[in-house]
Amino acid sequence: MNGLRRWMTRLRVMTQKELLQLLRDTVLIFFTVYAFTVDVFLAGSGVSLSLNRAALVVYDGDHSQASREFASRFHEPYFNRVGTLDKPADTIDYLERGEAMVALDIPEGFEASLYRGQPTSVQMQIDTTNTVLGLLASSYGQQIAGQFSLDVAKTQQGLAPDGDVAGPFVLDEHRVWFNPNQKDSWFMSVSELLTVITLFAMMLPAAAMVREKERGTIEQLLVSPLSAFQVMFPKILAMTLVILILTALSLGLVLKGIFNVPFKGSLVTFFAVTTLYVFTTSGLGLLVATVARNMAQAGMLIILIIAPMLFLSGAWTPPEAMPDFMRHLMAISPLHYFIDASYGILLKGSGLLTIAPQLAGMAVLGTLIFMFGLWGFGRQFG
Amino acid sequence: MNGRRVAAVVSKEWREIVRDRLFLALAFVVPSMLMLLFGYGLSLDVENIPFAIVDYDNSATSRDYAYRFIDSRYFDFQGYTRDESALARKLSTNELRAYIVIPEHFERRLLNGSPVAVQTMLDGTFPSRAETTKGYVIAINSAYSMELLARFAAARRGISEQQAAAALTPVRLDVRYLFNQSLSSIWSIAPKLIMVILMVSPPFLTALGVVREKERGSIYNIYASTVTRTEFLVGKILPYVGISLVNAGILWALATWHFGAPFKGDFVFFLLASLIYVVCTTGIGLIVSVVVKTQVAAMVVTAIVTVVPAALYSGVLIPIPSLSGQAQVIAHLLPAMYYANIVTGTFLKGAGLETLWRDVAVLSAYGALLLAVGFLMFSKRPRS
Repeated sequence: MNGLRRWMTRLRVMTQKELLQLLRDTVLIFFTVYAFTVDVFLAGSGVSLSLNRAALVVYDGDHSQASREFASRFHEPYFNRVGTLDKPADTIDYLERGEAMVALDIPEGFEASLYRGQPTSVQMQIDTTNTVLGLLASSYGQQIAGQFSLDVAKTQQGLAPDGDVAGPFVLDEHRVWFNPNQKDSWFMSVSELLTVITLFAMMLPAAAMVREKERGTIEQLLVSPLSAFQVMFPKILAMTLVILILTALSLGLVLKGIFNVPFKGSLVTFFAVTTLYVFTTSGLGLLVATVARNMAQAGMLIILIIAPMLFLSGAWTPPEAMPDFMRHLMAISPLHYFIDASYGILLKGSGLLTIAPQLAGMAVLGTLIFMFGLWGFGRQFG
Repeated sequence: MNGRRVAAVVSKEWREIVRDRLFLALAFVVPSMLMLLFGYGLSLDVENIPFAIVDYDNSATSRDYAYRFIDSRYFDFQGYTRDESALARKLSTNELRAYIVIPEHFERRLLNGSPVAVQTMLDGTFPSRAETTKGYVIAINSAYSMELLARFAAARRGISEQQAAAALTPVRLDVRYLFNQSLSSIWSIAPKLIMVILMVSPPFLTALGVVREKERGSIYNIYASTVTRTEFLVGKILPYVGISLVNAGILWALATWHFGAPFKGDFVFFLLASLIYVVCTTGIGLIVSVVVKTQVAAMVVTAIVTVVPAALYSGVLIPIPSLSGQAQVIAHLLPAMYYANIVTGTFLKGAGLETLWRDVAVLSAYGALLLAVGFLMFSKRPRS
């Protein structure tokens, strides 16, 4: 009994020491709070991954009512007309300078051929330096042209004299689940919060550990009656505590307060999952700390691990399109599981049972990483 | 500024870098590794969307319709089922991203010449993916509808199906893709990856440069020496600028030779522009280093001011015009956006100084400003 109490006391004292050290660094505290609040707000309010207001220029060679009607259908939210051109040759200039992304070229005699019932073609030139947006622009353009065609055909070909819907065709009916209005702010603010959690979970414990090595204070800890576990674990504990408090702040202030993200699932579950994730990721940080001899090395190693984690786990890009071997590689990224679990809880209302596979994945990874870190520490200083 | 004193600071810094073998190796390995990982893994395409079909009609027509989706490379067919509640569950466990419900009497209604509504259920957690998926569904549906209508109109008015189809599509949209005709993702993304990686890795090289000396106390050697502030800062960053410039060359080689991205511009111009850009990004690290008091803070601050902005506000994932309000402002405050114009310009469009001079000018001013700020914030007579 006495032994257990002593063990707990040591853990508490060490955790207190870490917290004190962290809180005394004012610049660090300032940026930490900034990251969890302002940074999340900025990402949620200003960033959208969909095609929005693509800059459009129009060359109207026909100057007729029909051509104006056609061009006017390219409007917001997808397109944003930024200019009208006098010469078709100017379109290339506009695209090359990057002032427009899409150029429409309506030929002379557009209206006349519509009345004669002859097909005409309108040229749409798209800057596809960003492939996906190029494809989206083309797809919206096709939809607009198709609808225009049908409208013209309906009135001219007598398919439906009164303009009503008739004839055999497939009507699209969509239901978008979990985020019916497709608000980018919901997705982006959550994604940014997860990113920030990852950054801190990885860096803070690693830095705390390397600092002890660099300054030599680790020697003091080694001659004290602390086990390797008691040296490493309080670092994770302290940082996890800080990160959880800031996450609560971010959830309440920014996600709920400003963006009104519907917390469909239980917040208790979310915090439990976050705790597990922070543990796992800080284990990764500590692993780096056992390899690195100084902070500069640790910084480069962390970038090497964290940049692919953030870019490839699915926080910013859809993971389905990755090549198979990269997808398998991402199975060792704890963020990959955390993203699925978090969106599941926050937006889809998943319970513990639904996200069990993700939790299991994270737990296994976390245990492995932590064991490995302890082993590395023991080998270095044991 | 005394050249000899700068050289002395540079050689001291350089020796420190070279003697730290792991750090030296990482300084070159990290950018190339990131390039390879991102180059293979980072894809913005929405493909292989796992989806299922609920077919309540189970007729020849409905199966023919379903095949339009099954055959598409954008969709990854997971099977037919009638259990909609199971599908709803799979949508929330990410096993499916969409499912399509074909109603009863699908065939009969179409043969009668009346419209049929087909429901598509989409997972909307990732809005841009949902939007793209919706686009694919609409495209497949309208192509199918057009065929049906043409057949219908042809039968009713006694003309051939081709004629009917032509009458139904009086306006055709000819889409031409510029600058990247083959539409392969890697071509457009490889040049921008150079921008992202040179935004992320150089600041980490310099971020600890000054603060490390502060923490260890070796900065007092500098305080007590004849080296001026400018000489010290310039000497501090030069070795890292050199390393980063070599990395820019390596990344260029990877982009063009390994990933096969076309390079239409002038290599010397590209290298000069990259030099200015890495001065800016290493400068960011230097400023952080001057401002903070501990190495821990330096690392965290550098990560926050570079990693996230490099992804969100640089134009690699989201084009700048699509950003709104304050995000636009952030984008304009970072060097990445201007360099992105330069890399995509030189790579894909073959542009040179005559079209890109504005971006080059902004970057140069930016670099000068950073050094000036560093000069003002660094003091040889610290208060505390």
